[in-house]
Amino acid sequence: MQYTNEIKLEQHGPVTLLDIQGDITGFSEPFLNEAYKNADNQGASNILLKTERDIYINSGGIAVLIQILAQTKQNNQLIGITGISDHFKKIFSMVGITRFAKIYDTVDEALEKMT
Amino acid sequence: MITNLNPPAVEVTLCNQLGYERIAMECSASFAKIFGCPADRIEDLKTVVAEAALNAMEHGNQGRANAKVTIFMDFKDDIINVAVIDEGNGIREFPPKPDITRIIDNIDPPNGFGLFLIKQLTDQVEFARRTDGGHVVKMGIKISRTD
Repeated sequence: MQYTNEIKLEQHGPVTLLDIQGDITGFSEPFLNEAYKNADNQGASNILLKTERDIYINSGGIAVLIQILAQTKQNNQLIGITGISDHFKKIFSMVGITRFAKIYDTVDEALEKMT
Repeated sequence: MITNLNPPAVEVTLCNQLGYERIAMECSASFAKIFGCPADRIEDLKTVVAEAALNAMEHGNQGRANAKVTIFMDFKDDIINVAVIDEGNGIREFPPKPDITRIIDNIDPPNGFGLFLIKQLTDQVEFARRTDGGHVVKMGIKISRTD
């Protein structure tokens, strides 16, 4: 069984948006890492992760996201997340992701506040 | 696995295939909806069922393709009870609560989130060896919990 993510990079002024299609699980690690590296190589300073609203995120996906947060911290980049459901906002708060990444309700709100 | 299956109980058996936890997750959501479980508690239930099934596949059954994971669900006194059964010997040592600051600073490995979420989102949880072999995680979710 194979799970993949398609991740499109979009530049919105100083914000590099990673538009993530598909569920975020342990299988997402190579796809998210490659997308992050591409953004970093392009000199991204502000990174916005956008997910689809009704996706499945499991503990493996949380670990992958935290590894991305670790890289943004190392590289002094600002990171935000948008698109997630209220349930995953709660989960991200429980595990502490919200201490390192601001969660935005919409892309427009994120772009406005991260610019 | 379960000897008696009296209404309203449901039993789902999965092959040991990562990704199939979604089947258990969706079954649990369908089961909870029958009893009027609110949407936020259904999301909690889906997460804990998926995480317990994942743990069963990866750690309990150690990825063995011919092993099974059985999920048993029942409803009584406003509580959805779920038992996730694998063929392993149980958890030898519980991981500490994940500390995201230490993980981000590469001091700790990024694991332990599954058990952490199970403990956070359930109203009761118990881990036990089964007398007839295998290991079970028993979880209770009150459908009326509001926090």
